[in-house]
Amino acid sequence: MTFYEEVQEIRARYPEESRSAALPALRLAQEKHGWLSRQAIEETAEALEVTPAFCYSVATFYDLLHLEPVGKHTIDVCTNLPCALSGAQRVVEAFESKLGIRAGETTPDGEVTLRAVECLGGCGYATVVAVDDRYHQHVRADTVAEILEGIDGGA
Amino acid sequence: MSTPELVRVTIDERDVHVPKGTGIVETALAAGVEIPVFCYEPRLGAPIGACRMCLVEVEGTPKLQTGCTLTAQDGMVVKTARTSERAAQGQNGTLEFILVNHPLDCPVCDKGGECPLQDLTFRYGPGNTRMSFEKLTFEKPIPISPTISLDRERCILCYRCTRFSEGVSEDGQLVAANRGAMSVITTFEDLPYTGAFTGNVTELCPVGALLPTQYRFEGRPWEIVDVPTVCGLCPVGCNINATVREGKVKRILSRNHFEVDEGWICDKGRFAFTHLRAEDRLTQPLQRVRRHGLEAVSWEQAVDEAARLLREARGRIVTVLSGSETVEQAYALAKLLRVGLDSHQAMLPEEISGALDAYRLPLSAIREADVVVVLGDVPVVERAPVVDLWIKSARRNGAKVVDDTNDPAVPEAERVVLVWSGPGGRGGATVAKLAEKLGLAGRDGCGAFYLPETPNGRGVADAWAACCDDEGEAVQSIGLLVVSGDEAAADENVRALAEQAETTIVVSMYGGLAAGWADLLLPGTSYLERDGTFVNLEGRLQRLRRTVEPPCLDELDWISQLAARFDVGVAPYPAAVFAEVSERVYGGLAFGDVGERAPLRFYPDAQEHVGRESLPEPQQKARRGEIRLVAYKPLFSGAAVERTAELQFQRPQPELEISAGDARRRKLASGDFATVGSNGSAITLPVRVNRRLRDGIARVALEHASGLGGIVEIAKAEEVPA
Amino acid sequence: MAERRVLLAGADERDLTQLAEYRAIGGYQGVEKARAMTPDELIAELEKAILRGRGGAGFPMGRKASLIDRKSAKPKYLVVNADESEPGAFKDREVMAKVPHRLIEGCLIAAHAIESRNVFIYIRGEYLTEYEILAGAVAEAREAGIFGDVDITVHRGAGAYICGEETALLESLEGKRGQPRPRPPFPPIQGLYMAPTQINNVCTIATVPVILEIGAEEFAKTGVPSSPGTAIFSVSGNVARPGNYELDLGTPMRELIYEHAGGIADGRELKAVIPGGSSVPALTPDQIDVPLDYDSLGAIGTFFGAASLIVVDDRCCMVQLAIRSTKFYAHESCGKCTPCRVGTRWMVQILESIENGTASHADLELLDSVGDNILGKVLCALGEFAVYPVSSYLHKWRDEFVAHIEHGGCPFEGSSSLEGILAPSDQHAHTPAGQEALV
Repeated sequence: MTFYEEVQEIRARYPEESRSAALPALRLAQEKHGWLSRQAIEETAEALEVTPAFCYSVATFYDLLHLEPVGKHTIDVCTNLPCALSGAQRVVEAFESKLGIRAGETTPDGEVTLRAVECLGGCGYATVVAVDDRYHQHVRADTVAEILEGIDGGA
Repeated sequence: MSTPELVRVTIDERDVHVPKGTGIVETALAAGVEIPVFCYEPRLGAPIGACRMCLVEVEGTPKLQTGCTLTAQDGMVVKTARTSERAAQGQNGTLEFILVNHPLDCPVCDKGGECPLQDLTFRYGPGNTRMSFEKLTFEKPIPISPTISLDRERCILCYRCTRFSEGVSEDGQLVAANRGAMSVITTFEDLPYTGAFTGNVTELCPVGALLPTQYRFEGRPWEIVDVPTVCGLCPVGCNINATVREGKVKRILSRNHFEVDEGWICDKGRFAFTHLRAEDRLTQPLQRVRRHGLEAVSWEQAVDEAARLLREARGRIVTVLSGSETVEQAYALAKLLRVGLDSHQAMLPEEISGALDAYRLPLSAIREADVVVVLGDVPVVERAPVVDLWIKSARRNGAKVVDDTNDPAVPEAERVVLVWSGPGGRGGATVAKLAEKLGLAGRDGCGAFYLPETPNGRGVADAWAACCDDEGEAVQSIGLLVVSGDEAAADENVRALAEQAETTIVVSMYGGLAAGWADLLLPGTSYLERDGTFVNLEGRLQRLRRTVEPPCLDELDWISQLAARFDVGVAPYPAAVFAEVSERVYGGLAFGDVGERAPLRFYPDAQEHVGRESLPEPQQKARRGEIRLVAYKPLFSGAAVERTAELQFQRPQPELEISAGDARRRKLASGDFATVGSNGSAITLPVRVNRRLRDGIARVALEHASGLGGIVEIAKAEEVPA
Repeated sequence: MAERRVLLAGADERDLTQLAEYRAIGGYQGVEKARAMTPDELIAELEKAILRGRGGAGFPMGRKASLIDRKSAKPKYLVVNADESEPGAFKDREVMAKVPHRLIEGCLIAAHAIESRNVFIYIRGEYLTEYEILAGAVAEAREAGIFGDVDITVHRGAGAYICGEETALLESLEGKRGQPRPRPPFPPIQGLYMAPTQINNVCTIATVPVILEIGAEEFAKTGVPSSPGTAIFSVSGNVARPGNYELDLGTPMRELIYEHAGGIADGRELKAVIPGGSSVPALTPDQIDVPLDYDSLGAIGTFFGAASLIVVDDRCCMVQLAIRSTKFYAHESCGKCTPCRVGTRWMVQILESIENGTASHADLELLDSVGDNILGKVLCALGEFAVYPVSSYLHKWRDEFVAHIEHGGCPFEGSSSLEGILAPSDQHAHTPAGQEALV
């Protein structure tokens, strides 16, 4: 199925005049293109029969939709209150040190984007790190290396 | 219709009775109380309660409420900042928050002096700032388009502009991006905000964030005068204010006629006023001297020469009108030519008919319709832009918008409105017939509109006809062709006629249009420079006012001088000329009574059919599988637009619009090139698929059609042009 | 009191993500019971149970259902709020991961009550694993023919805390930016696609089959009279055994912290408890002898909220806590209404000046005043959630704030447990669209 056809299938789940397919379609486009580039937005807009500006407006509202290139893998470290109280900053610094980048940046080889994020919903199992949207819990500075190894041989 | 139930509301201890469900902001107004607002604007749809400026105290509710989202209920007791300290604190707080990041730009901001933020801060805001940290800054100003600039630091994120783009003009181009304090207003990538109505956001914006580039640093409110008049660029006749400083028009604003334009104007009417100062504007008469070409002459000489040409061609004079003359100009010309020179033949670019008089409605009635039938293949927005806004608003209001009078929704509906956009339509006679067939006469809320190509075709035709009853004989060979107005001067068919004529007089604003073939070129005036009347597509007579002095004589001036040469009395004053026309056409209405926001009047004396010869139109109907090419005149075209640098980006790209079905059958997708041909000639154009277009129709802007029209062959291009 | 597994009943013994396993313990019998009742009867039963919304507001679920405009010609919708993003809360996640069929059963019963044929479960985008489990269970149940004429669509969010707010969720579900709507009109009258809509939290809906199983009267005898039943309490922060604990409402807070969660870890002292997720006023150590229920917590000036306790020990600087908390709200603010959009950012700036020692005493008044200008003036609760905790820190730990001012900086001098914590809003390597960094 083409991207266009997939989006039409998604649209069919919702009332005809609604734009509810926007988020699922944008996520699909992001999976296909790696990030929501201009081309990705335009393709999505065409499939949804809305303007690119509308898609862009929706996409920029949400943290999981990337309007800039991201690495092949994303590492999101929660630094909200419960994880912060449990040593999240040390986890962030361990990743920064091992990857050689600061949080918010992508490794020069385009493999990994590291980010500090808000509460991931694993507060009782701090610190929570989401690698490509899969949760690793009870992460400590000294278990960071293990996680990195699990990602395609690490950085 | 039932009378709405009245309820009693108490605002700041004043009792007022309003229909149940009236918004509280309006209810307060009725009680003489101001509730300050920013984001609230009823024309933009349901209130959003975003800015929090209108906070009021409502008895029985512990929290402050936004006045804009409240509706009048019986017994409601509301306290505004005037009588409630809590409400005052709330409003003061809102203004403080807005000002926290708002830059101190007033001294250099064009909005200064006409700025709701300034005014409301003065009335309800804090006297100083408690903010000592870094304000949020942005790159500024950035051009949203060549006509509009955006200053994100000044923006208070009231979302009026995005709601206009989404929910009024429905172009979906101006949007909010990001979240929270990082939110910005933007278009997609660097694309300019394009469309017929973009300029309206500069009036909607309550601060100096969205401003017209033309008016940047051009004046302060105390240096300007706003002259109320009516736009003369299309047959809608939006009511406008021309901002004049030191004798020059600097800006056009809406004047809001709630039945005609509801406060919106199109970008052509808003930005094309710069045509007044075009470089090739004629200020002096030009006379063709053999072997010398055109030479400037004095008005005295010009009138002499015109009189000579007219005298020699008596009885063999044909007049071509543009349909953009005022009623008074047309009548004056008619008197001169018909009474003074026994020359009764005149041509308009289109047929004019009074057949629609039986189905007259104000444009605002479109919104209340249950069904709107839009007939014709010329996009409504290209011919009468604001009508397109009314149709969209009708659809949002629950109306069904269809393109066929046989649609099953039509017979079931109570209020049916027909709109004919063209091409063709016999001046409205065709759609009047349809209205008759549907039995719309006399039914509440039912009517029909025909969208003419000329701004005042009806007024001109009525005036020409009213002046005398003689019909005269058809002119066999044209002794003198009198061409009035730029539209006529730019018309190829008129030029062809001029070649047949022995001599030609052309009245035009711009030298370039007829310099090659006119014998006598008289400078014309713009609608912004004339006092007079126009009749719009509703049949509404509206009053134009002179906003600035023309750089040449007013037409009535020299026409009256010429008329005197032929013993015809034509007053050089529009009021006097109008009086004569009015006696015969407008029931004796006085010039001064036409009205600042003219009502839609009915004129029993207006002629039912004012047939004028029109130029030939394609009438072929496409058979199955065939495609008929509609070459339409785009909104952003014409002499005024061509002379407005900022509007060039709005001019249509060369492209061929086709339906999804026709595209599929020819294996065409948007962006592909197609050849369009008929009768041996062919052109190549990029294609744009329009899913809303029905099969059998293709559209192209007239200037890119290379003369093609009617039934055409469309195929994928073999070669793609370089 | 021991934990009482009700919502999570059976999950320890069986893999209740499997339809057969869920059926084996009586699963989906509630649907049949419900369908044998009329919607009015069913709503009456739910009202009798006094099931208070577990999403935070505590509005009785049955009463909400009774407000649905069932006479409307428009379709009715049931929307399950699975956007769980409240800092400190992680229990909806467990429900969806362990007992998805119980949630689904609750959906079907609730749908019958409001005569709805369309159920949407809006699950936060980050919960990928839970989404897969839930979607799998939905598919399984659908294939088994349990749905009848109802369908359930699981819709993923994309990362925005505000989408946990009812009307913002609806906007997001409709494909737009997740910005709240003004109310009235309320969702039971005009909700999703402007049609009558019931919105409830995951745990609320997952409790519904329990009510059908034991009956409203029996259910109402559990917990406390004003809030019957159990709640899953999420405990996090500086405790020895953070985690989810399902307990009867009314359980004393001290018991939860010290018995179930093992007390303060590392031999430290308790300093503060934020009992409802991070968005509520914090409690001092002498305030924790309070029953965990809506009314009791309300009586001491805080909220039951998301039933998520964040426990703070004495290593934490309260000003840093306030900064991190407020940065969260500033980052998540949707930007629609002025006081929240501007006020949260301003509060961060004031707090940072207090932390770095450049503030004066007057800035404490200013902080209070800004909070005051937000409270009660905003379009939705997010703005207020930003103010409640900070206002409580300022008032209950005022001397710490004053110490910063008099010390000319943070008295913890780098030793606070929150020292240097990086908030997402501070990390942009690039500047957001169009914004120039101030030089």
